[in-house]
Amino acid sequence: MNIYSYVLRRLLYVIPILLGVCFLIFILFNVVAGDPTLVLLGKHATLEQMAELRHQLGLDRSLFMQYLDIVKSAFTFDFGRSWVTKQDILYMIKEGTIPSLTLTIPAFTLGTILAIIISLFVSLYRGGKLDKSIVFFCIALMSIPSLAYILFGQWFFAYKMDMFEISGYEFGFPYFIPYILLPGIIWVIISLGPDIRFFRTVILDEVYQDYVRTAKAKGLSENVVLFKHVLKNAMIPIITYVVIQIPFLVLGALLLESFFSIPGLGGITLNAINSSDFPVIKAMTVLSAVGYILFSILTDVLYTVVDPRVRLK
Amino acid sequence: MHLKKTLKSLFKLLPLLWLAACFTKEGEDKGMKVFHYPVAVKIKGIDPIQADDLYSGTEVSRVYDGLLEYHYLKRPFTLQGNLAQDLPTVSDDGLTYTFKIRPGVHFHDNKCFKNSIGRELVADDIRYTFMRNADPKENSKGWWMIDGKIKGLDDWRKNPDYSQDIEGLKVIDEHTFSFTLNEPFPQFLYALAMPFSFIVPRECVEHYGQEFLNHPVGTGPYTLDTFNQSNKIVYQRNKKFRDKFYPTEAAEEFVKRGLLKDAGKKLPFFDKIVVEVMVESQPRWLKFQDGKIDFIAIPKDNFSSVLTSEMELTDEMKQKEIELLIEPSQDVSYTAFNHDLPLFQNKKLRQALAMATNGDEYNKLFFNGTALVAQSIVPPGLAGYDEKFQNPYRQYNLEKAKKLLAEAGYPEGKGLPEITLDGTNSTDARQMAEFTKMSLEKLGLKIKTIQNPWPELQNKIKLRKGMMHSIAWLADYPDAESFFAILYGPNGSPGANGSNYNDPVFNKMVKEASTMQDSPERTALYTKMNRYIAEEVPVIFELHRTSVVVQHAWIKNFVVGDFAHDRSMYINVDTKQKERLLEEKF
Repeated sequence: MNIYSYVLRRLLYVIPILLGVCFLIFILFNVVAGDPTLVLLGKHATLEQMAELRHQLGLDRSLFMQYLDIVKSAFTFDFGRSWVTKQDILYMIKEGTIPSLTLTIPAFTLGTILAIIISLFVSLYRGGKLDKSIVFFCIALMSIPSLAYILFGQWFFAYKMDMFEISGYEFGFPYFIPYILLPGIIWVIISLGPDIRFFRTVILDEVYQDYVRTAKAKGLSENVVLFKHVLKNAMIPIITYVVIQIPFLVLGALLLESFFSIPGLGGITLNAINSSDFPVIKAMTVLSAVGYILFSILTDVLYTVVDPRVRLK
Repeated sequence: MHLKKTLKSLFKLLPLLWLAACFTKEGEDKGMKVFHYPVAVKIKGIDPIQADDLYSGTEVSRVYDGLLEYHYLKRPFTLQGNLAQDLPTVSDDGLTYTFKIRPGVHFHDNKCFKNSIGRELVADDIRYTFMRNADPKENSKGWWMIDGKIKGLDDWRKNPDYSQDIEGLKVIDEHTFSFTLNEPFPQFLYALAMPFSFIVPRECVEHYGQEFLNHPVGTGPYTLDTFNQSNKIVYQRNKKFRDKFYPTEAAEEFVKRGLLKDAGKKLPFFDKIVVEVMVESQPRWLKFQDGKIDFIAIPKDNFSSVLTSEMELTDEMKQKEIELLIEPSQDVSYTAFNHDLPLFQNKKLRQALAMATNGDEYNKLFFNGTALVAQSIVPPGLAGYDEKFQNPYRQYNLEKAKKLLAEAGYPEGKGLPEITLDGTNSTDARQMAEFTKMSLEKLGLKIKTIQNPWPELQNKIKLRKGMMHSIAWLADYPDAESFFAILYGPNGSPGANGSNYNDPVFNKMVKEASTMQDSPERTALYTKMNRYIAEEVPVIFELHRTSVVVQHAWIKNFVVGDFAHDRSMYINVDTKQKERLLEEKF
């Protein structure tokens, strides 16, 4: 099967999956969840006002019609307006995506590259002092809650040392850079521990393979063996681990966004949950599901690129 | 090898990143008076009819004006004319209020107006504003304030047509307007000072449609420049703002604080206001300590670094010349019983539970002792509050509580079902719920705490689910009626009375007080009602909180107060002092 028909077939799978996602959203928000008008109308709401608002929001229509509304918005990406801010939801998402991505993409890229390099390096010295120290260091990094890095980093590096902005965000290049440096560094530190441990394990599985011994016997340098042979063969699990995280980068880093006052999608989603802004929650759920599906297709396609033995069926 | 090259290029880019880090927009504000204002919540929008919390009310007040306002420096809170030239003339029957509108007041320049130039505010704008408040399609959160009060408005609401005349909303001429009420309503003037009733121009509401919430156009001292509800809101001084001057009179406490130094000067003082949204307390606190925001309500966890046990500023704060402002909030926090359940019809049970919770300890643990243990529903500063009154059921006494519980028919808690206690899911609320649970379990009760997201808690209360819940109530206006409303039977869920307490004796007193003008008789009745409620214990009264705010010395005229929504107009900054202090102390 060629790559195009594989991708097309996988894309067709999106339809039943999205219908299922819509059904789950429908059950959660239109059947299980309580009446959103109670929250939307505030502390002095009257029954008459609630009935009027339910009518305006289409919540008095039949359940089937409400389900169809969700399906329609999922397939047209027309999510309407937020019940709370009255803004167009796609505009809100666009506005939130930019700050989220300016933080997460550089931090994620740098963190992943650093983790791969360190893992390759320590795999050369498996069982040695350096390897043990790095593993110990990773466990130590993972043992500290991420909130501690944020609180300490913000207090020490931004406030005491005055090296970074304490919090905030400015739209537009290059104005956002001062605001994403510290949260970006913290992201890298938080991700290093689990990433190095995972990549190290994956790479170690490869370095004891016969082909590595053969390559070394041929007299190839350590660098060539590591970067050309080992890394290439370790790429499949690495790609799976890395690519599948990408759609979640758009969702931002909730805790970092919150502490550094970065107006990203994480905060928008949390705010929507706290104010019963169902259309925004629905939009974020649908988009996350679509993102997850698309990137899992991309992962499959990338397998064939890094390993010609893989055939798409 | 390629990887190595890429990495080398990345390292070469690092100095460029650091250089880029020097690009800030701070230089833009040089020479300007800028107010750096922190908020802890995301602002939903800036539309008067949606401003149902303190935060939205404050943002609305920067852009919009009402007919009336509270005098900035008089206490108790005193109403005065704002867009109205003065207080209204009231007809002999107390039903018709006639206002003279200030001439020459213009809306902000905006593309919704002809030639994008703001037109003059006229009496018809007031008529439109109140009709919009009543229009069911607009979902006004302020409708409750005038529901059933203005003649003909409730009928109009059934089939809204803005071309129709309404008896109770009369445009007499361009600058004269009158309201006619169905029956005397002493709190009506307060309604006119609430953000819900601030005046909006019809053409702009229609031009922006649903987006009007994000494109405010008013007559206020500031115009909106940038609006991002989760980042920052920037306002610029309204260059066409009418002649409005800083007050020349003040309450004694404010005279002593030197708040009349700017008396008679034209308002507003700031060229720009930057509202920074910071949900977490640490960045707010660090930015304050760094001099980047001008004031802050002291976060709970930073109390000990700011105040000594004698409630004085610590040396570190004094060294930075930081100033302390303390003002009781007009609110009450309480744990409500669901009176729909026969269990809580038992007065002795309610009294026992109230007596078993230690208010002083609660205050010390969660508010560093700054709040006041509530003896009943009315907070200090309002008619009906009695400073000396001690509610016998709010004096912690475990033995007496046990005795009362036995008299209620549940010795050592035997025979009682497991009681659920609902609250929000914030860390503070969780800890407070645990405290209440531990207190009540000492009586032998079995308590299950349930943490809910705010919408879920609201749902439970409005649908009369649950057994007990913790909540707080802030005054809508400086009148005890605002607090009695939350225990008034006809206001039961989904109304404001979430406890569903329905006591004919109390209801009768509320009804009687509702048509009484402010007078010694009404104050006496309020006091009686407050004591009656203390004895009945329809809810466990917890605290009246206090605003504890610190500000930098360069900020002048700052007043803490629940109704000072528009304070940013009166606040000033000494820019030279700010430069000096930032250089020397920060």
